[in-house]
Amino acid sequence: MKLRILLIEDDPQIRRFLRASLPTQGYELLEAESGREGLGLVAAQIPDLILLDLGLPDMEGIEVIHRVREWSNVPVVVLSARDQEREKVATLDAGADDYLTKPFGVGELMARIRVGLRRSSQAREGSKETVFSMGNIAVDLEKRQVFRGSEEIHLTPIEYKLLATLIKYQGKVVTHRQLLKEVWGPSHIDQNPYLRIFILNLRRKLEDNPTRPTYLLTDPGVGYRLRDQEISGL
Amino acid sequence: MQEKTGVGELPPPPEESKAHGRERLLVCLGPSLLSLRLIRTTHRLAAAQGAKWFALYVETPSHERLPPEKSEIVSQAFRLATQLGAQVVKVSGFRIGNEILTFARENQVTKIFVGKPLKGRWRRLFGGSLVDHLIWNCNAIDISVISGEGEGEGEKITAAPARSKISIALRGYALAFGGVGVCTAVAGVLFFYLSFTSLVMLYLLTVVVVSSSLSRGPAIFSACASVAVFTFFFVPEYWSFKIANPEYAITVIVMLVVSTLISELTARIRYQARVARRQEQQTAALYDMSQHLGATDSHHTLLEAAVEHIARIFDGHVTIILPAADGDLQVAAGASLPDDVREAMVARWVYRYGHTAGAGTGTLSAVRGIYVPLLAMETPVGVLRLELSQPEHLLAADALPLLEALARQLGLAMERDKLCREAREAQLEIEAERMRNTLLSSVSHDLKTPLTVIAGSASSLLEGENALDAATKTELAHTIYDEAKRLDRLVHNLLEMSRLQSGQIRLNKEWHVLEEVIGNALHQLEPQLQGHPVKINLPADYPLVNIDALLIERVLINLLDNAMKYTPSGTSIEISGRLQDQEAVLEVADAGPGLPSGNEERIFEKFFQSAPGSSRGVGLGLSICRSIIEVHGGRIWVANRPESGATFSFTLPLEEGAPSLDQDLPEIKDNQGYEASHSSH
Repeated sequence: MKLRILLIEDDPQIRRFLRASLPTQGYELLEAESGREGLGLVAAQIPDLILLDLGLPDMEGIEVIHRVREWSNVPVVVLSARDQEREKVATLDAGADDYLTKPFGVGELMARIRVGLRRSSQAREGSKETVFSMGNIAVDLEKRQVFRGSEEIHLTPIEYKLLATLIKYQGKVVTHRQLLKEVWGPSHIDQNPYLRIFILNLRRKLEDNPTRPTYLLTDPGVGYRLRDQEISGL
Repeated sequence: MQEKTGVGELPPPPEESKAHGRERLLVCLGPSLLSLRLIRTTHRLAAAQGAKWFALYVETPSHERLPPEKSEIVSQAFRLATQLGAQVVKVSGFRIGNEILTFARENQVTKIFVGKPLKGRWRRLFGGSLVDHLIWNCNAIDISVISGEGEGEGEKITAAPARSKISIALRGYALAFGGVGVCTAVAGVLFFYLSFTSLVMLYLLTVVVVSSSLSRGPAIFSACASVAVFTFFFVPEYWSFKIANPEYAITVIVMLVVSTLISELTARIRYQARVARRQEQQTAALYDMSQHLGATDSHHTLLEAAVEHIARIFDGHVTIILPAADGDLQVAAGASLPDDVREAMVARWVYRYGHTAGAGTGTLSAVRGIYVPLLAMETPVGVLRLELSQPEHLLAADALPLLEALARQLGLAMERDKLCREAREAQLEIEAERMRNTLLSSVSHDLKTPLTVIAGSASSLLEGENALDAATKTELAHTIYDEAKRLDRLVHNLLEMSRLQSGQIRLNKEWHVLEEVIGNALHQLEPQLQGHPVKINLPADYPLVNIDALLIERVLINLLDNAMKYTPSGTSIEISGRLQDQEAVLEVADAGPGLPSGNEERIFEKFFQSAPGSSRGVGLGLSICRSIIEVHGGRIWVANRPESGATFSFTLPLEEGAPSLDQDLPEIKDNQGYEASHSSH
C-alpha cells in the first residue's frame, strides 16, 4: 500500500510542484489549502506523514501541531520561510518532527520524509538494535562503549548521553531545548552555551575534522541532528 | 490670592496692554498685602491710559529678616505684577526713598504709587516717612498715595514661625551676651591698669567682633548691653546706672552712638557680601547649566542633565513635562507627578498660556509644584515642574526668576536640539531616497539576469522535450537550480540589508563556539567551495563569543562568497582566529590577485563593486558584513597580503562572563545524580 502524505499549504504553486514530484517517488498525496481543512483530513484519512506550511491564512502553524498532537503521533514536517525562524523552533518544541526552509529541493524533502516515516515505524515496532554504526563510528548501546575505527573512545557520562540521545533521533533535528531537557533535565533548558561546548568536545572526539563535521551536524538557530545514513552531503 | 480658589476653571491670564502711551507709572512694592492692591490699582490706571508701568521693589537688608509669609507676599506681588503686564524690577539698596527716586528719574516715570503706611507714626517724628521723603524730593513726578484701609493687613496670613529659626536667633543672642560677659570679666581684671577710655575701646572691640560674626539683632543687642554694663560697672558711681560726671555722660552717649553705628555698618557689609555671593551663585548656576546643556548630544540626555542640574540648585524634585505625539502632556524626564489631578491641570494651564504658576507664585498656588513654562521662540514647548524637598521653604523672591531663566535656557536648548534633529532627519531622508533609487536600478538588473536564465532554460526544456538528449536536459535543470539558489542568496541579502538599515534588528545574542559558526558557514557554501581548499586555523581553547550566530554566519558566508568570486579556482582560502587586546580577531584570507589599492574602505560601501558590471551580486555583501560587525561592536577591514591575495579581518569584543570551555562545570556536577538515576539507555 502506498504511504499517504498530507500537504497543508495555501500556495497553489507549491502544491502543484509537490503534486508533480511526490507521486513519482511512490507516495500518495492528499492536499489541504487551510489549517481547518487539513485537520479534517488528518482525522478522516489518517495520513502517514504531514507536510505543514507555517504561513497558513486561517491558523497559526503551532496551533495545528497542538491539535494534531492531542490525539495523533503522525510525523509532521514543517515548511517555513526564512523570516519564520522563531515560529519554526516553537513548532518543533511543540511536537513537530522536522522542518524544511523554503526554497528547498526535492532531494532534501525526500530525505526528511524518509526519516519521518522511518521514525514512526520504529516507534511502532520498537527498535531492537543494540549496536549502532555510522561511517567509522560504532556505538554499543548495551555496553555503553564507543568506537572510532577499532579504537575505543572514552566519553564522559554526559557526552555519552548526548550522543545516545542524538542516535535515538537519528536523521531528525533535535532542538536545543529538547536536547537539554533529555540530557540535563527540565531545569536546564536555557543552557545553550553548555550544550555547544559539549557538542564541540564530542566532535573533537568523533569527527575527523571537527570544524567541518560529517556526523554531528548543526542546524543553525534550531539545534543538532545526527547525519542520516541514507542521506549524504545534505 | 484670589486665584487660589478657582483651580477648577483655570482662567486665562489677563491680557497685557500692548500700546504704551507717554505716561509711565511706577508702583512701589513692599512686604504688605497693600502691595497687591496697589498693583491692581496701578494696572487699572495704566490700562486706561495705555501707559507703560513698572513695579519696583527695593531690597534692603531688612528683606533678609522678613518672616516667610511676608516674603511670600513679595513673591506674590511680583507674580501679579508680571501677569498684569508690569515691568518688574528689583534693586538692592539701603534707602528706599532714594532708590525709588533714582529709578523713577532714570526711567522717565511720571507718576509714583505708594501705599499709605499704617504704622510707623513714631518714625515720622524722626526723618519722616517714606511718603514724606518722596513728596519732598519728587520734583516733577506725581506721587499718589493709596490707603490700605480695610485691607486688614496681616490678618489672612497665619504666622508659622519656624522653631529652628527661633533657636538660631536665641543662640545668636546668647553668644552676644557671652561676648559682653567675657569682655566685662577682662575689663574687671584690667580695671586698675587701664584708663577709662581704653575700657571703652575694649567694649567697642567686642561690638565689632560680635556684629561681624552674628546677625543684626544680636549685634545691636551687644551694643546696647555693652553700654549698659559699662555704665553699671565702670562709670562712677560704680555698681549703679548713675553717672557722676557730665563728661562721663558724654563718653557713654558717644559709645552708644558709635557702637550702634558699628553694628549697623557691619550688618550692611555682611548683607552686601551675601547678596553678592547669591548673585554669583546664580550666575554660576546659569553658566554651569548652559555648559551642561551644550555638552549633551541627545534629546534624552539633555532633559536628564537639566533635571539633575535644576534639582541640585533648588534641592527639590524636578519634572519635565512635554506634549506627546497626541498633544497630551506627559512626563518626559525626572520625578513622576503626584497623584493629584490638580497638578496635571496646572501643568496644562501653564503649557497653554506660557505663564508661571503653582506653589509660591500667587497663581494656582494650591498645588505642591511650581510650574514654569519652557519657552522656545516665545511659544511654550513644555513645562518644568519643581517641587521643593521642604515645601515650607517657599522660594525666595529672587529664586523664581532664576528658575525661569533656567527654564528659558532649557527651552532654547531643546529648540536647538529639535532643529538639529530635523536637519539630520531631512539629510537622512535625502540619503534614503538616493539609496532607494540606486537599489531599485541595481536590484532590477540583478534579479533579471537569473530570471532570464531560469525562464530560458525552463522553456527550452518544455519546447525541446523530444529533441533534447538526456545530458542537455540535466544540464538545463542544473542551471535552473543554481540560478534559483543565487536568487535566493540575493533576496536573503536584500532582506538582511533592509532589516539592518531600518534599525529594527534585534540581536539574538548567545554564547557561541566560533568553530561551529565557521563550520555552519562552510556547510552552507558546500557545493561552491569544491574548487577552493579551505584551511582553518583556530586555537583549540578559543573562548566563546557573545554573538548573534546567524548574523556572524552571514558575515562569513559573504566573505567566503566574495573570496570565491574574485579568486581563480584552485586557490586556497584560509580562515584563522586569534586574540588581541580583549577582542577576537577573525581573518578570511584568499590567494587571489588582491585588491586594487585605494578601494580598501570603499568596498564596504553599498553597491560598490571593484569591477562594475563584471561580476554577480549588487555589491551588498560586504556592506552587510560591515553593518553586522558594527552592531556587534566590532570593526571590519581589508588589507592585501604581502605575497598575493587579500585578507578580510573583523573583530568581535570579548565579553565578561563567557562560559568556560573547561568541562568541569558546576551545573554538570549537580546532575551526576540525575544522570545516574536515569541511565536507562
